[in-house]
Amino acid sequence: MKLVVFVNDYKEPPILDRLKADKFGIVFVQNGVYHCTLKKDGSTSALLSKDAELYALSEDLESRGFKAEDVDSKVKVINYEGLVDLIFNDYEKIIWL
Amino acid sequence: MGKLTIGCFSSLVGSMTLDFAVKLAEAAVKKGHEVDLWLSGNATMLGKTRQSKFRDYSYLAGTVEELIKTGKFQITICEACAKARGIDKEDTMEGVNIHSMDWYLASAFSADRVFHIGGE
Repeated sequence: MKLVVFVNDYKEPPILDRLKADKFGIVFVQNGVYHCTLKKDGSTSALLSKDAELYALSEDLESRGFKAEDVDSKVKVINYEGLVDLIFNDYEKIIWL
Repeated sequence: MGKLTIGCFSSLVGSMTLDFAVKLAEAAVKKGHEVDLWLSGNATMLGKTRQSKFRDYSYLAGTVEELIKTGKFQITICEACAKARGIDKEDTMEGVNIHSMDWYLASAFSADRVFHIGGE
């Protein structure tokens, strides 16, 4: 199963560690984009070290004052159109945490 | 092309999650997909008529009206949730349906992708 999970807050949802999928993606939206841009005590967010494809929504980065170069290199920045393609072409199941 | 069913419970002008759901629907319709948007809980307020547009408020009613005109977008609010909030057919925007939740289930079963977004 190809599963994509949406994280919309700067917290670490415990359930993430219990989710298993053949292909696993995490999309950071709203305040979830802080996972991709901020460091805590010098370390990046633990969510960035998950075994997953990582994406962040460009509009939510920009509205919070971030540019593409502020985003961790593991994360791919996409817009709403890219998100539609992701949902239809790259994954099957979607979860909003 | 495919069909995307989105269910959203988040409130209007509350969190930005309902904005996210409408923008995703708009992007999907622009790409030629069909979208069913089911609204429950406080999200049912999006179906109400006479919403005002203020500069600092997010205003989704205009986008919804444009999407309805495309013929590739259906928006339905939960009958019980609407009534609980004093919303009846005459309080509802043109083109917004009112149904019980079985509409959402039927839509989900006929969709290629289902995206359920909870409250707030």
